[in-house]
Amino acid sequence: MSNSYHMPVLPKPDGKKVTINVDGRDVEVPEGTNLVEALKTIGIATPHFCYHPDLPVAGNCRQCMVETDGPRGMGLAIACYTPVRAGMKVATDHSSEKVKTARKAVMEFQLANHPLDCPICDKAGECSLQDNYMSAGGQTSRMREGIGKQYKGSPENRHQDSKGQDRGGKHLDLGPTVILDQERCILCDRCVRFMRDVAGSEQLYIAGRGDHAFLSTFPGSELSHEYDLNVTDVCPVGALTGKHFRFHQRVWNLVSTQTIDPTDSLGANITVDHYDGQAWRIMPRRNPDVNKSWIHNDTRLAYQKLSENRLAAGLFGKNEIPLSQATSRLGELVRGARKLALVASGHLTLEDNAAILALAQFLGSRAEVFGGSWLPVGKPDNIARSGDPVPNRLGQKLLGIADNLDELVRRAKEFDVLVVVGHDLWKIAPSKAKALEAIPERIVLSAWHDDSVAKATLSVGIRSWAEVRGTMVNCQGRVQMMQAAPILPSPDLEPAWQILSSAGRLGWTSELDAFRFAQGRIPALAGLTYRNIGPMGRILEGVVA
Amino acid sequence: MGHCHTKVDQPSTDEVFSKLEIPSVLERAEELVRRYPVPRSALLPMLWLAQEVLGWLPQEAIRWAAGKCEVSPVHAYGVSMFYTMYKKEPTGRFFLQICQNVSCHVLGAEDIIAHAEKTLETTSHGGTTSDNLFTLLRVECLGACGNGPVMQVNDDFATDVVDGALAMPTGVSLTKERFDKIVAWCRQQAKSQQKEPVRDASGGAFRTGGHPGAKGANTAAQKPDYAPAPPVLGLSVQKTEDGKVKVTWRADAGVSALHLENRTNGTEFISLATLTGKDKEWVGELPAGTELRMVSESQGRRAKPSNIAKVEA
Amino acid sequence: MATLTVTQNFGKGACDLGVYRSLGGYASLGPRLFDLSQFELIDLVSRSGLRGRGGAGFPTGMKWSFVPRNSGKPVYLVVNADEGEPGTFKDHVLMLEDPHRLIEGMLICGWALGVRTAYIYVRGEFLPAIEALNRALKQAYDAGILGENIQGTGYSLDIYVHRGAGAYICGEETALINSLEGYKGQPRLKPPFPAVSGAWASPTCVNNVETLMALPWILENGPAAYQALGTPKSGGTKVFSVSGDVKRPGVYEVPMGTPLMELLESKDLCQGIVGELKGVIPGGSSSPVLLAEEARKANLDYEALAALKTMLGSGAVIAFNTTRNAVGMLASLTRFYAHESCGQCTPCREGTGYADRILKSVVAGKGRDGDLEHMLDLAANFSYTTICPLAIADAWPIENFIGKFRPEFEKAVSANPGHASPRMDDDFRPGAFW
Repeated sequence: MSNSYHMPVLPKPDGKKVTINVDGRDVEVPEGTNLVEALKTIGIATPHFCYHPDLPVAGNCRQCMVETDGPRGMGLAIACYTPVRAGMKVATDHSSEKVKTARKAVMEFQLANHPLDCPICDKAGECSLQDNYMSAGGQTSRMREGIGKQYKGSPENRHQDSKGQDRGGKHLDLGPTVILDQERCILCDRCVRFMRDVAGSEQLYIAGRGDHAFLSTFPGSELSHEYDLNVTDVCPVGALTGKHFRFHQRVWNLVSTQTIDPTDSLGANITVDHYDGQAWRIMPRRNPDVNKSWIHNDTRLAYQKLSENRLAAGLFGKNEIPLSQATSRLGELVRGARKLALVASGHLTLEDNAAILALAQFLGSRAEVFGGSWLPVGKPDNIARSGDPVPNRLGQKLLGIADNLDELVRRAKEFDVLVVVGHDLWKIAPSKAKALEAIPERIVLSAWHDDSVAKATLSVGIRSWAEVRGTMVNCQGRVQMMQAAPILPSPDLEPAWQILSSAGRLGWTSELDAFRFAQGRIPALAGLTYRNIGPMGRILEGVVA
Repeated sequence: MGHCHTKVDQPSTDEVFSKLEIPSVLERAEELVRRYPVPRSALLPMLWLAQEVLGWLPQEAIRWAAGKCEVSPVHAYGVSMFYTMYKKEPTGRFFLQICQNVSCHVLGAEDIIAHAEKTLETTSHGGTTSDNLFTLLRVECLGACGNGPVMQVNDDFATDVVDGALAMPTGVSLTKERFDKIVAWCRQQAKSQQKEPVRDASGGAFRTGGHPGAKGANTAAQKPDYAPAPPVLGLSVQKTEDGKVKVTWRADAGVSALHLENRTNGTEFISLATLTGKDKEWVGELPAGTELRMVSESQGRRAKPSNIAKVEA
Repeated sequence: MATLTVTQNFGKGACDLGVYRSLGGYASLGPRLFDLSQFELIDLVSRSGLRGRGGAGFPTGMKWSFVPRNSGKPVYLVVNADEGEPGTFKDHVLMLEDPHRLIEGMLICGWALGVRTAYIYVRGEFLPAIEALNRALKQAYDAGILGENIQGTGYSLDIYVHRGAGAYICGEETALINSLEGYKGQPRLKPPFPAVSGAWASPTCVNNVETLMALPWILENGPAAYQALGTPKSGGTKVFSVSGDVKRPGVYEVPMGTPLMELLESKDLCQGIVGELKGVIPGGSSSPVLLAEEARKANLDYEALAALKTMLGSGAVIAFNTTRNAVGMLASLTRFYAHESCGQCTPCREGTGYADRILKSVVAGKGRDGDLEHMLDLAANFSYTTICPLAIADAWPIENFIGKFRPEFEKAVSANPGHASPRMDDDFRPGAFW
């Protein structure tokens, strides 16, 4: 921490507003926030590199210059470190030539020593340097031959390229997940601040000084932390890139679908970025009240499982059967059962669990619902994980599903049909689940060829978490939306609620029917619709004290 | 040394730590930590200490210093790379730094640097002679411009050799001849088989109580009321337009109460008003010839009275 | 002989406590200091007109008055002895010649602000000065002048010397604090100012060596006497470091307001110019250069030099004669600022190096038409857009050297036979990215 850092004050939805004058126009903005945030609320974007709403303010990039009035008249100031004060005058590049010139100048300085890498840079298309050049720069280079660039790099990595130029560090393997290109680094310090102030493990630092300063780990040491891939998000340029995504897909091809972290009950907000029917990466989606801008590496890499080992058809014993056949076989077994055990899942949406309850309701006393999870609960890391790996545990509880898997194990012999939905019991606790093999008909609905599928007498493929629309309730009592990404491995796959609906002849035609059923069971959901839950979710009143 | 731009072979952790983890060094390290409220702040002195012991600052020594100062190794690395006087590579026995900045430049530093490069057959960008005796480096201002051009030999300023020792006498600047003289002195020194003593990088720091509250320190915090209570200064009296008396003064921001006292005809001062520390003036009606003074009170202590001001007719 | 307030002990062996005492040293350690409340002492210093001698010239009394007392946090005094401005070497000499006066000044300042622990941040190159300071500190401790409960007053002060390690920017007070705290010496965003939240987030007073060394004299002779030595707005005396083409370079103390030429030509002082005067840099390398005719009109005080669009700065006077080449001088300055930029703010980090590379190319005989404009434009662009004034300190010499010695620079550019040739690559990138 080389600066006496301060976290930015961010606007609060119901915070006090003050009037300031921006470009000659009186506007209302949240009090006390910095100008970058305040201007954002009135639709003015301020170009910047080092500022990040979830990191302490460093104020070093100098790109966000505006003019403000002070004791000596209007003067340049950085918007990210200038607090809003009632009655202040602000001039942005819309009205001030001085601001325009200053921002343009900073662009020139940023680019002066930045390599000409865009065609081979993975950040191209989502690079702040490119974006800000288009909005705040736009000038032709004045650098003439014979001046040359001062490329950045640590002593170990400095080298001469084939043209005899003195070059810095390129594609340095920093550790298990991240690649560093020192030359591209614009020394904004965001990654350093992330590792130190958010991850709590200082592993990166800007060493040296002047234009030959460079980003580095301790020589010979790795960058290795369970959140370290977030540095690739905060990096405004292509200096830090993730090995998992590097050179896999051009970002401008990608389309983002908003959904929720399926690996933890905090339900970090994410997007699944897909193209051509395939998920290419997961990115954090900023939600100031949930995960800020961060996600765990495991969350980020969860997309890799979406195309691996998928159960895209039905299995009758070991034999693959079409999904339609598997679904109708499921219906027959369920409706003909003497005593049916339905195992719900905190890994599935409220809608899927609602379908389980509706099916049980249809079958009456012949069916019994079991729920909960055998997965151990860890501690919150106060970044983007609660430590509970069951994302919809609270939703399940609110629906009235008990945590009673052990009871099922004890009473396994009472049942003749078992239906397990999206819950890999045999993987989580094989020794406990073994008792369930006493049930003659074991039906597993799963998106993957998992351990439970291996023990099933009938398996039915379902859509995975990324392919369904629905809701989950996170550990804060916040109901959050998941949207379906168009990345089905087989067009025939259906969500679990739909398969259960046809098994129980519930006649549901969309998730909304399932959601309505859930609303009947959870009073706190009253009045909510998918639309008003919105991308940031809604806190359910009185659910979590 | 300077900004290191090349890869340097690094000694092993054991090799470095075996030289640093010895009682005499550890004792000094512990003393450095005592001087600051948090161990982190001893980082610069700790790096100096490691450099003094090892002659330069290998990466493992940086790791050692980081451990002693309870900072991450990469923090210590970043900090050490920021400062140019930490030698990130070994130097020759005599480390010659010649100033090339403006005052020395004006007086011909470039000629001397060129001469030095030629004499020592090495570059002035950190080149070391083949006999490992000299490292030559052109540096920015050394802060002895009055003797410009100037040079440092290891930690001493040297523009001449006087009585068999390096010296920088007032008004004597480095010339090519004096440079040769100094080089000859160094060579002579090297021949005499007598190794110059290791210079204490902390400049002879000695043990004191340490910063109050620091690790290993045994000192107490400042006593808050060591100084006399702050009196009121500059008491003055003016007449307002409506014939009243306005009293103004300067008082310390920390005072809790101000006692305005008056007297007439040289009798005892009696209390006129008690004001708070925030009050800046007092207005009232007083007969001409009244004398006023003010006594401030802070944290229960009364200060000496202010000057006496008189209400004029 | 003019009154000396800081350098009166030069050449008298005052490094030794006994000698210093025999010269009247530590006389303030008695009723003179101990009977003063903190408030009175700050008021006294304010009235003396003493201003910060490190470069910015901020009134010392006012600076002290910003330091909150009774904030519940310790108050630190940090002495800025990171003298790195090219041309400046007064603090170096002051510490070598009279370290006890600095300690006495620190005691006075410490008393005023309630300082318990003080640090002297000395630049790393000054090891001999650090040794002198440590010897003096040891003597002071042994004599009961420092430590706990000094002379039975209940006041305690510890002083430590903190050795820098080679970074000019650490002369900026917040960078110095960062360096003291064990960070890279990069300036901090302001506010908060150090007086409120400085070292270890506590109230911190950063004062220059010379500023503190003036205090014993002020306490002895009174603020009015000190103020009267200088001009009404720039009170007292100032120590100047004179280097370059003068007959007797060195450290000289003269009253504020003394004509610049008197400093350079008086037989008691610099004894005249070697050769014919071409120009003078009056206040350290970053202050705008004065041409000879301007120098002849200049008086050495804050206001008079400001009127000539330059500044008193740290009092480093660099005189140069007509045989010196302005291009080479500026090149040595731009190289310096590029080398010393801390690398934090983009404009300074990339801009100072960029400007330096252009000038290097010109010096190497590869200049092009437009290079000078480009440099001036860069300088204008990195001024006033950064956290600290280092970029401005580079911009001023660029603007003034090119502005005042333009023909020399143009000659240097046209030394390249191809100076007028168009940019080789203009055709290839019409308005493209770079």
